[in-house]
Amino acid sequence: MNHSIFNVLVLFLWLSVCAVADNHSAAKGIHASDSDLTNVPVPKTNDPWQRLNRTTFRFNDELTTYALRPVAHGYAAIVPVRVRTGLTNFFDNLNYPVRFINSVLQGKITRSAQETGKFVINSTAGVGGLIRVSDHIPSLADVPAEDFGQTLGVWGICPGPYLVIPVLGPSDCRDLVGFGGDYAMNPLNWHTLGIIPHAYIPNAASIALSGTKSVNGLPKSVESYDQLKAEAVDPYVAMRDAYLSYRDAQVKK
Amino acid sequence: MLLRFILRSALVLMFLGAAQLSGAASSDDAATMLRSSVEEVLSIAYSGHANETLATRVRPALEKCFAFDIVTRQAMGPGWRQFSATEQKRVTDLFSELMIRTYSGRVVGTQRPKIVFGSPVATASDRCEIPTRVTTSSSNDPIAVVYRMIKLPAGWRIYDVLIEGVSFVANYRAQFDELIQKGGAGAAIRTLEAKLAQPVPSNS
Repeated sequence: MNHSIFNVLVLFLWLSVCAVADNHSAAKGIHASDSDLTNVPVPKTNDPWQRLNRTTFRFNDELTTYALRPVAHGYAAIVPVRVRTGLTNFFDNLNYPVRFINSVLQGKITRSAQETGKFVINSTAGVGGLIRVSDHIPSLADVPAEDFGQTLGVWGICPGPYLVIPVLGPSDCRDLVGFGGDYAMNPLNWHTLGIIPHAYIPNAASIALSGTKSVNGLPKSVESYDQLKAEAVDPYVAMRDAYLSYRDAQVKK
Repeated sequence: MLLRFILRSALVLMFLGAAQLSGAASSDDAATMLRSSVEEVLSIAYSGHANETLATRVRPALEKCFAFDIVTRQAMGPGWRQFSATEQKRVTDLFSELMIRTYSGRVVGTQRPKIVFGSPVATASDRCEIPTRVTTSSSNDPIAVVYRMIKLPAGWRIYDVLIEGVSFVANYRAQFDELIQKGGAGAAIRTLEAKLAQPVPSNS
């Protein structure tokens, strides 16, 4: 118990003192202008809790093998791809406040207007967000999605130590805080958080929606994970590097 | 005096302009090469034949456009210098095999992805980056893929691929670093052999 309180304290201490430019070299990769291709800089990774992270990684791996993969395969066998895509679009559309608020928080006004345009068009012409009509409009087809973890990155907060969260998977201290922010901004969770009065939406409907969202995303997540495992010589490191590099690139977009 | 200065400056600028022009032309060659290679690889990958033989069929096309030796050298990092010539050859062969298998594993479905090529960006006199946007039937959003290319005597070759900011080379480099530090070339060879001995997962 004391240990977990200590970890939370460390996390917040780190967040308060770490408002400096990120010089995390792991995410930088190898630049083409390096003169000697055999002597590229060695990436340094901020992973002080590697032992615990590897244990959680193994737990998540077992969870995927024995629980998530069978559910994902069963769901994919029953639900056609078109329905799955429609549901993904629906939940993605519902996530509009997260992208809009974070675009504004990052000062990306054009992007926030694009997000609003996407939301209006997909909610109306796209039948409540099931069809992404906006993909056929060039100015709205490719808008990078913003989240609170990226906002913290744009504000100059460094990612901090790498973390593997049980069930959820790879993250870092910054994205863990970001996850909390996004959770609060997502209308799907407003019922749970008491923002929408319980009288308007029954508990069962809220649970069903959240459950559908999680299960609907499983086939793709499991497929990506299986692909990574098949290609990697050390899946833990492959996942860590891919996550940190991907998030670094997203912050810069 | 002033006239001489102007003339000299004009001469320097002319040379610089010519160099820039030749750089641009060079990068355009890289873009042409990349387009034709991607086209060739995709037409093999989506020819409708069984996926089990894909790695074998696609190998010659990939060997033409990838600098496998440079990719391997980068992925192994500084430890590469301590490898003997035989070990270097063995590691290059095994890692190339893994790369080809990785590529084949990424070919999913029967619909060819749509690729939009961006303008090449020169990063050095002999290197450039070519950004592309790939739209597949299974992805909702276009995927950003950047090809890093190097000019070799034989022509332009790919020496790294970045998918949504994740460098293929840097990712393997991170994985091999600790392994080579602890066990040298032997550990790298054993790990690669074990990896390649595993059955290829079937594509859905």
